[in-house]
Amino acid sequence: MKDRNAVFRALRKSEKNQYTLLSGCLFFASLLITAFCMMMYSPTVQNTLPEGGDSRKQVMMVFVLAVIGCAAFSIYAAGLFFRYKSRGAGVFLALGMSRKVLGQQLRREVVRLTLVSCGTGLVLGTPLCWIIWSVFRLTLVDTPEMILIFDLRAYGIPVVFTAFVLIALLIMQHRFLSRVNVLDIIQESHRAEPVRAVPHWYGWGGILMMVLGGLLGYFTPTFCILVLHWYAPEFLTALFYLPALIGLYWVLLHTVTGGWHRGKNRYRHLIESSMMQFQGRQTVRNMLVVTVLVAGAYFSSFYTPMLITPGKAEITNRPMDCQFFYRADQEMLGKEEIEALAARYGERITDYVEMPSASLAVDGTRHIETQGSMGTTYTREYTETLCEIRFFSVSAWNALTGDSLVLRSGESAATLDRYGDFDTIGLVTNPVTREQLRVRTVDEPLQSDLFHDIRVLSDADYAQITRGLPLDWREIQIVFNTEGDSYDFEKKLFHEIVAHSGTEAARIDGDDRIEREYYIEKGEPYFLEPESPHYAAFPPIDPDKPDASDFRMNWKYMPKFRALDAGDVVSNFAVFLLLFVFVAILCFAAVAVILYTRSQTLILSNLWVYEDLRKLGASNAYLRKTSKEQVKRVFLAPVLIGTLLILCFYTLILMGNGGDGVIDATERTAFASCLILVGILSAVFYGLYRVTVKKAWETLKL
Amino acid sequence: MLSVQDLHKSYEIGKDKYEVLKGVSLEVKKGEFVGVMGPSGSGKSTLLNCISCYIPSDSGRIKLGHTDLATLDEARMAHVRNEKLGFVFQDFLLLDGLTIRDNIMLPRIIGGRTDASMERSADMLCDLFGISQIKNKFPADVSGGERQRTAVARALINDPELILADEPTGNLDSKSAQAVIDAFLRAKNELSATIFMVTHDSFAASFCDRVVILKDGDVRKTLVRGGQERRDFQDALLDTIRELSEVREA
Repeated sequence: MKDRNAVFRALRKSEKNQYTLLSGCLFFASLLITAFCMMMYSPTVQNTLPEGGDSRKQVMMVFVLAVIGCAAFSIYAAGLFFRYKSRGAGVFLALGMSRKVLGQQLRREVVRLTLVSCGTGLVLGTPLCWIIWSVFRLTLVDTPEMILIFDLRAYGIPVVFTAFVLIALLIMQHRFLSRVNVLDIIQESHRAEPVRAVPHWYGWGGILMMVLGGLLGYFTPTFCILVLHWYAPEFLTALFYLPALIGLYWVLLHTVTGGWHRGKNRYRHLIESSMMQFQGRQTVRNMLVVTVLVAGAYFSSFYTPMLITPGKAEITNRPMDCQFFYRADQEMLGKEEIEALAARYGERITDYVEMPSASLAVDGTRHIETQGSMGTTYTREYTETLCEIRFFSVSAWNALTGDSLVLRSGESAATLDRYGDFDTIGLVTNPVTREQLRVRTVDEPLQSDLFHDIRVLSDADYAQITRGLPLDWREIQIVFNTEGDSYDFEKKLFHEIVAHSGTEAARIDGDDRIEREYYIEKGEPYFLEPESPHYAAFPPIDPDKPDASDFRMNWKYMPKFRALDAGDVVSNFAVFLLLFVFVAILCFAAVAVILYTRSQTLILSNLWVYEDLRKLGASNAYLRKTSKEQVKRVFLAPVLIGTLLILCFYTLILMGNGGDGVIDATERTAFASCLILVGILSAVFYGLYRVTVKKAWETLKL
Repeated sequence: MLSVQDLHKSYEIGKDKYEVLKGVSLEVKKGEFVGVMGPSGSGKSTLLNCISCYIPSDSGRIKLGHTDLATLDEARMAHVRNEKLGFVFQDFLLLDGLTIRDNIMLPRIIGGRTDASMERSADMLCDLFGISQIKNKFPADVSGGERQRTAVARALINDPELILADEPTGNLDSKSAQAVIDAFLRAKNELSATIFMVTHDSFAASFCDRVVILKDGDVRKTLVRGGQERRDFQDALLDTIRELSEVREA
C-alpha cells in the first residue's frame, strides 16, 4: 500500500456491497427511465397518443410517479452509502486527513459512480426498450405501425435525471463532510431515525382521512362541473386528494410504530416495534412512495383488462355477425357483390337486411364556455339544433333488429349512447329544409347490442322530416350473418368498403356537421379545424392505412364485423397496451427494488440488536420470527394499501360510468380480470417477500 | 508538553444548558503516562474530545508544545492530528477493508510520507506489540486485543508528541486489556511516548505515572504513583473514587 489512492481502492473493494447497492440503484433507475423515454418519444408512440389526450396524460402521470420512485430510491441508497462511508471518513479525519482532501476524494468517487452507473443504464436502456418491444410483438401482437423508431431527444430526460442524481449526491456528500464534529461522523452509522410519539388515533383517523380525501378528490371535479358550472383547473381539484395523502402517512406511521398491536398483543411484537420505531422516518417515506407506486402500477396494469374484456364482451354480444353503414352518396358494394366476395372465401351470406337512415339535427342544451382567471366556467343554453343524430323509421328498425317496436306519430325511441347514457329530445330538424318535428322521447330506452346513439321515428314522421334531405345526409345500414365466420373475408370486405368510400367519408367519429355550422356562425374554429387548440388531439383519418389503430378506432363509418374485430381487438390497441404494460413493469420493478433494499438495510442497521437479543437468550426461532415481522411491516402495509386504494378508485370509476351508480355485467367481468391480475401480482410480491426474509435470515446467520 | 488551562465546555439540550467541564486545568510532561478517571458524567471523554479538537471548547486554552490547538484552522489542525497526535479509540476504529499492516501505516499514507521507512516502522511496531503473525490479516479476522494493539501501533507510526487514548480497554477482556496496557508501557519505555489515557478501569489506570480524578466537570484530585506497587496504587485509586462517591451520597 503506497498511497491514498491505493487505500481508497482497497476500501472500495471491501465496501463493494455498498457500492453495488448504490451503483445498482442508479443503474436500474437510469435504465428504466431511458427505456421508457425511448418508447415514449418514439414517433410510433407519439403518433398513437394524441397530444393533450387522456391516454397521454395518464401515461405521463404514472411515468412521473415512477421517476419520483426511482429518484427516491436512488437518494435513499445514496443516504445509506454515506452512512456506511461515515465511519471510514471519521477515521481519516481523526487521523489527520483534511476535509478538503477527503472531500476531493469522495467527490471523485461520487462523480465516477454516478456517471458510470447512470451512463451504463442510459446506454443499455435503448436495447432494453427494443427487447421489450420485440418480445411484445413476438408474443402478443404485431401490427404494421408497431415499428420502433428511436429519437435522440429521448435521452433528454435520463440525462436530466443523471444530472439531478449527481447534484443531489454532491450536496449530500458536502453536507455529510461539513459536519463540524468528527465524532458525529464516526457515530453516523449508529444514528437512528426516531419517529416522534405517534397519537393512538392515527390508525383509524388515517383510514378516515383516506376515505374522506378519496371521495373529496373524486367527486370535487364533478361537483364543480355540475353544480358550480366550472371546469376547475386540475391542480386545484387535485388538492382535494391531500387529506387522503395525509391519512396514508398517518396509517403508515401508525403501522411502522406497531400501533395496531396495543394491549396484551403489544408484548408479542415489542421487539420489532421498538426496532421499527427508530428506523421510522425513512421507512415511512419509503412506504409512502411504495404505496403510490403500487397504486400507479396497478392503474397501468388494469388498462389492458379494462379495455379488452368489455371489448370482447361487446363483440360476443352482437346479435348479427356484420353490420356497416355508409353515406348514401357513395358508390358502395351492393348485396350481389358482397355475396360474390363471400363466395370467393367459401362463405355464405344470410339474413341480409339493407335499410335507410337519415342524419337529422336534434335539440338540447349547449354549454357556453367562458374563459376566466379561475379557469373555464359555463352557462347552459337551450338550442333547437344541438347536434346531428342518425334516425331510422320504425319499420327499418324492426327489419334490422327483429324487434316489433310500435311508435305513434310524435314519438321517438332512443338507444343508449356508447357511454350507457340516455338523453331525451323534443325537437327534430331537417338540416337542409329546416322543417321541424316536435317529438316526445319514450321513457324506456331501446335495448340493442348492435346500435348506439340511434333514434327511431314512426314511419310517417320519418317520411315527413326526411323529405328533401339530400343523399349526403342519408345513409344505408346493412346487417347480415355469415356462415363460416371468416376473418379473411371480413377483412377483405372491410378493405373494399374503405376503397369504395370517397374522401368526403374520411371523417372522424364525433365529427358533427350541425355543431360545425354553429362554430362557423360564431366565427370560432371547430375542434377539427387546424386553427382549433384541440385539433392536434385528434388523429387524422387516412383511408390509405385502413389497418392502422387510429383509423379503426376513430373512423365514423367503421364496420362492426365479428370475426375481424375479435381477431384484431388486441392489435387495435397494441401501442396503448404496450405502453401501459411497460409503465406497469417500470413501477413494479421500482417497488421491488425499494422493498428489497429497505428491508435489507433495516436488518443490517439492527444487526447489533439481534446480537444482543441472542446474548439475552433469544432462540433462532424467536429471532427468525422477529426479523420476519420486521420485513413484513415494510412489505404488507404499502402493498395492501396501494392495492386497496386502486381497487376502490376503479370501483368508483365503474360506478360512475353510465351515471347510474351500477356496475354492469361487462364491467364486472373486466373487474374480475383485474382481481385475477391482483392475485397473480400479490403472489409475486409474496415470493419477493419470502426471498427477502430468507436473505435477512442469511444476513443474521439464522 | 500538553497544557490545559481553565477549560470550559457546555451542551445545550433544548432550553437547558449543561456545563460538563467547569474550568479544567492540567499538565502532561514529555514521556509521562497520565490517566484520567472519574464517575460517569464527570466529563472524561468530553475533556479528551476537546483536547483532540473533535469538539470545540467554550473557553480556555489547550497547548501542545507551543501550539495553541484551539486557534488552529481546519488544515493546520489536520496536520497536528496527523503528525503530533496519535489516537486510540475504545472501539478501535480500524478500517475493515485494510490489513492490520495497512491500518498501521494509514497515518503515514494520509500524510503522504510513504517512503521505505514506513513499512520498516510498521513491521517494527508489529514486532514490538506481538502482532507480526497477523499483520496481513484483516481486522475482522483478529481478536479485540489484537485490534487494539494494532490501534496503538497506528497511533505511534508517526512518532507523535502525544497519544490520546479513550477507554482503550473498555471493550476488552482482562487478558486482552493486559496486552494493550503492555503495549502502552512498551511505547512509553522503548519509544519514549507520552500517553494521555481516559479510563474508568482502575486496573488500567494503576499502570499510569499519574492519575487525574475528575468529578462534576472539575479536577478533584491528582494521584501520583511514585514508587508505589501497582496493586497499592490501584487500591489508592479505588479509595479515592469511593471517597468522592460517598461525598456525593452524603
